[in-house]
Amino acid sequence: MTNDLYTPKERLLRKLRGESADRAPVICPGGMLNSAIVEVMEHTGHVLPDGHTDAELMALLAKDIAELTGFENYGVPFCMTVEAEALGSIIDLGSLVCEPKINKERFASVSEALIELPETAGDNPRVAVTASAIHMLSGGDMPVIGSITGPISTAASLVDPMTFLKELRKDKDNAHKVLTAITDWLISYALVLRESGADIICIADPTATGEILGPRFFEEYAVTYINKLADGIRATGTPVIVHICGQLSSVSQHVSEIKSDAISTDAMVNLRNLKSKYPELTTMGNLSTIRLEQGNPEGVIRNTDILLRYGIDILAPACGLGTATPLKNIAAFTQRAKLGIGS
Amino acid sequence: MTREQELHQALSDAVLDMDEDLTEELAKKVIEEGFDAYAAIDAGLADGMERAGVLFEDGEYFVPELILCADAMYRALDVLKPHIKVEEQAVKPRAIIGVVEGDTHDIGKNLVRIMTEAGGFEIIDIGRDVPPNVFIDRAIEENAEIIMISTLMTTTMTNMAKVIELLNERGLRDKFKVMVGGGPISQAYADRIGADGYSKNAAEAVRLAKSLLGMEVAK
Repeated sequence: MTNDLYTPKERLLRKLRGESADRAPVICPGGMLNSAIVEVMEHTGHVLPDGHTDAELMALLAKDIAELTGFENYGVPFCMTVEAEALGSIIDLGSLVCEPKINKERFASVSEALIELPETAGDNPRVAVTASAIHMLSGGDMPVIGSITGPISTAASLVDPMTFLKELRKDKDNAHKVLTAITDWLISYALVLRESGADIICIADPTATGEILGPRFFEEYAVTYINKLADGIRATGTPVIVHICGQLSSVSQHVSEIKSDAISTDAMVNLRNLKSKYPELTTMGNLSTIRLEQGNPEGVIRNTDILLRYGIDILAPACGLGTATPLKNIAAFTQRAKLGIGS
Repeated sequence: MTREQELHQALSDAVLDMDEDLTEELAKKVIEEGFDAYAAIDAGLADGMERAGVLFEDGEYFVPELILCADAMYRALDVLKPHIKVEEQAVKPRAIIGVVEGDTHDIGKNLVRIMTEAGGFEIIDIGRDVPPNVFIDRAIEENAEIIMISTLMTTTMTNMAKVIELLNERGLRDKFKVMVGGGPISQAYADRIGADGYSKNAAEAVRLAKSLLGMEVAK
């Protein structure tokens, strides 16, 4: 690996700009795309849930992960609850093995949520922890990714999700108003992370799937607000990765409308087909996290080789890593990925 | 078509059209005109939900539509339920449903609850973020025949296997049928952890629950 032409940061940024590189980077952005596995935390003692509220611990854990797994980035935070907590929902920070989760959404309906959300994110304590961790991680050869929750998922963490989903149809005006306000807040949050030193922002919006919303609402809500968020971030020159969960079959015509510097997908999506259909897309993914958690290194290597043969631009797990994922499987993935094609 | 059949058809259509005001109005007519409440639930509301389930499986309806259909069904159900005759209150098969520990995503679980309730089950919803032992304790308490376990996250799916492991440890495995489902789950995973069945969506879950209990499965 001493023969690498680029630093991890240069390589990833080149790929995100659509430029060539010596090989595909292999990364795990954090956030929904969880990278904090128990084996790493037990090895170093830099543990969750404490690391969710302690910037130094968060930064140390991000470094441990990169060092032990071989992923070529730092990625924080390690959950999808910073946004919902900052906006007033009740959070359970989880445990060593369980990720943080929403305990109680703040609002019962979108019309209740038509209140003034804080205009900027900067003052919130959990935003401050993430920002400060990013500051500690930034400036080196490793790209620092700030991972944020997309607008639809943030809205469904603030408003009871069953009600929120039906109000996308039944109370469109208020649903759009709430999503606009949330997206503005998310832009301000992303810019705080950027100013703290994040090189890249990764948006994951797992509620915004074709299976849940259907193609019409995917276009009307998911594409609209993910693009608004991505535009707000990209306007500052910071590249954006968008992770879309689930099958893309019912919404594939809209995927190319998403304004991002790379699209990351779930394991069931055939990235080679997506690439051939939309050659201009930068693709990221999509090694099965079930394979990573329950398989063995040989199986992981076989899957990695397939992704390399397909010419996927950025290699990454297809979803959040199960916290019980064995380190040896992840190491098999990153080591193989770094050998590149022809291995 | 008799007047009663007309009302049943209209109820079924109103559920499918997500029109909760109309289902309530029609339910009131059923009662006012002296028709049987149970038959209206069965041939009207449940039929409408079943049709909604078909559209959901065909990719014409998605989650927002299915929830709105359910709202329309429940509005009418509130009107009709108090009028069900005692002798018609057949004992329904009971099932426990919940989302595994570590996961608070409950949309899928709620959809399965709605569809299986509409399909004639009594569902005890034990919520989200449920520890493995609680599934079992509540299933015993509630005299349930089926335990339905849901998760959305790959990071928590292993907690499904724990419920089955605990059933084995406690010598209770053959007391319950175990159904699993959710985004990352597959038939292969269900087989591997020793579940009795997997369904990929809420409409399929109704058929699975019925077939696991040896009940007649429509269509």
